[in-house]
Amino acid sequence: MSESSNEVMSDVKLRHVRRQRTKEMRMQLTSFGLMIFLTFTAFGMVALDFNATFITGAVLLFAFIQVVLQFYYFMHMKDKGHDFAKLFMIVGMYFAIAFCVTFIYIVWIGAPIS
Amino acid sequence: MSTATTQKRGFLGTIWEYMTTVDHKKIAILYLIAGGFFFALGGIEAMLIRIQLAVPNNDFLSAGLFNEVITMHGTTMIFLAAMPLLFAFMNATVPLQIGARDVAFPFLNALGVWLFIFGGIFLNLSWFLGGAPDAGWTSYASLSIISPGHGIDFYAVGLQIAGAGTLISGINFVTTIITMRAPGMTYMRMPLMTWTTLIASVLIVFAFPPLTVGLFLLIFDRMFGSNFFIVEAGGNTIIWEHLFWIFGHPEVYVLILPAFGIFSEIFATFARKRLFGYSAMVFATVLIGFFGFMVWAHHMFTVGLGPTANAIFALATMAIAVPTGIKIFNWIFTIWGGSIEFTTPMMYALAFIPSFVMGGVTGIMQAVAPADYQYHDSYFIVAHFHYVIVGGVVFALLAGLHYYWPLMFSTMLNEKLGKVTFWFFLLGFHCTFLIQHFLGLWGMPRRVFTYLDGQGYNAANMISTVGAFMMAFAVIVLLINVVITLVKNEKVGRDPWGDGRTLEWSLPLPVPYYNFAQTPLIRGLDAFWLEKKEGNGEMLPAESLDDFHMPNNSIIPFIISLGLFIAGFGSLYFASGKDWAIDAVANLPERPWAIWLLVIGLAITFISMIVRSFKDDLGYYVKKEELIKDLEEQERGAK
Repeated sequence: MSESSNEVMSDVKLRHVRRQRTKEMRMQLTSFGLMIFLTFTAFGMVALDFNATFITGAVLLFAFIQVVLQFYYFMHMKDKGHDFAKLFMIVGMYFAIAFCVTFIYIVWIGAPIS
Repeated sequence: MSTATTQKRGFLGTIWEYMTTVDHKKIAILYLIAGGFFFALGGIEAMLIRIQLAVPNNDFLSAGLFNEVITMHGTTMIFLAAMPLLFAFMNATVPLQIGARDVAFPFLNALGVWLFIFGGIFLNLSWFLGGAPDAGWTSYASLSIISPGHGIDFYAVGLQIAGAGTLISGINFVTTIITMRAPGMTYMRMPLMTWTTLIASVLIVFAFPPLTVGLFLLIFDRMFGSNFFIVEAGGNTIIWEHLFWIFGHPEVYVLILPAFGIFSEIFATFARKRLFGYSAMVFATVLIGFFGFMVWAHHMFTVGLGPTANAIFALATMAIAVPTGIKIFNWIFTIWGGSIEFTTPMMYALAFIPSFVMGGVTGIMQAVAPADYQYHDSYFIVAHFHYVIVGGVVFALLAGLHYYWPLMFSTMLNEKLGKVTFWFFLLGFHCTFLIQHFLGLWGMPRRVFTYLDGQGYNAANMISTVGAFMMAFAVIVLLINVVITLVKNEKVGRDPWGDGRTLEWSLPLPVPYYNFAQTPLIRGLDAFWLEKKEGNGEMLPAESLDDFHMPNNSIIPFIISLGLFIAGFGSLYFASGKDWAIDAVANLPERPWAIWLLVIGLAITFISMIVRSFKDDLGYYVKKEELIKDLEEQERGAK
């Protein structure tokens, strides 16, 4: 990004960059707030003795949203030039999940659908 | 660094240059020499196997030694011969094909080759240090945990070291191809060799970690007293099989995809036609790579996964035939109506199509899970995987050796001797392995050291052995060819085949150490061919002639690998004679120095890494004046 070059920026460009950064900061804070909120909700559901099955599902969903926010906002996967990193991570996750599922079912539990 | 100093260098200087080099072209030669050496070792082991099996009740090799020979044959051929030789061609061609001056991480490239060499030496030292591994190249844990002596330890540690090198090289090539393409070299203009290297490297990145994990579990079990695979202590040996094949199946695509790449280049060049269905070829390559991860359990149909799992993996396996079929048809359509030139590489490529299809068809037969119960552990399997690996990968290696030889050494291998090699190799190959399909169907199990007379296996085994000798003769002719070519040393100029299509042939031979004086501009697929047909036969520069940056040589990769090599011996002997060790090594004499070897080895490795990270090595600049001088010299040479 512009940090790496030492060129003097024109006024218009400077204003544009500043606006971009403000927007970026707002997004970071929003997603951070959302993540805190989700964490509190998860704890709150447990504290208020909700149905256990419901809590499991809901917490897993929250966890998934948190992972997505983490990757896309805090680890900058939403930014440009991350196409291959994204592709690799998604494919890697897909393989890893496939391996885990097969390990659980055909190594340890055995013949789940019989 | 200039050519003048290269000529002054003596023999020791040359050795030092190669030990410290970070130049992808020299690393390619290192891979070629080391891979060729291990190929010869694996070939000798293959000959021993065939001599032992030539007649019934043979006692040429003892049963135990036979197990060691088959294990080392498989392991050597896959990990230390086929893959490094493919890496040799990837290193020699890929940076040139995409218009780069080197790979993305030249230091890591050198580290990769030295890790592989030290891992390979480590594995083969087992022959002299108490016996080689003897549990087959798959080294199933139920067998390898009880294998007495240190053989399996050599396997586990040696492959761990070599595998780290391969993983590093895989990451390197992915980064190189994604980030270092010349202007205009879009993804859909990359030559097929580059595409297949990219996909094979991606497969390495995803497939080697499971192997690393599996090998570490095996190392911990055998050398440090853990219980991952020890059933009495609650371990599970099936986990090894899954981990091994999660790696092992993509591994065979790591081998075959670059082979497809080499053949795609050869077909287009010597049929003098654009590769038919380029985008379909790319798509098929990607699809094969993806499917390659979904099928590992087809190696384990008889383990007892249950009918559902077997059916899923059987179907997934059959699906791979579709993209592979697309490729076969595209190659046939490429040569269809082309103006074919029957050079040695082209003959290998033409022979590859029927040979590989035969291996592919038996693969589909085995994908049918119920039928696989019949084929499993019989010579039918041996015949199948030799048809795909020899008929596919080894043909590609031999074709690539002839095809890329001028690029690597700026001389040409003798075509007549090349064709002698080709015919003997082709006939010997089919003679050896075709009959083994029938041996398997007649009931001969694989991995047996002998068989009884009167079972109907005698004639077939003899035929197979005769074929193996024909292949050995072919390889000897090839060696003679190489020696003659190196001694004669008749230099060839640019584009020695006359029909080069891709960027690497646009370079002067020998290729300057900086590859491209000016980064070329790529105007389309088959960039050099395009300039020959539509331009003046010269690549257009994408930048003005100016200084550019190159990396310095370094001995550190060699020292890092040496440290791991020493540490390997430390961990190997660590459990010897300890009372907590597994039965296989508990009775051996104790080695109190082993722990120190481990510590010293790891210290060497980590200290060199620290030195590397704290010492600023900024490389050097190639000056404009030198480039101008070189370009003028080339122009004079051309006239």
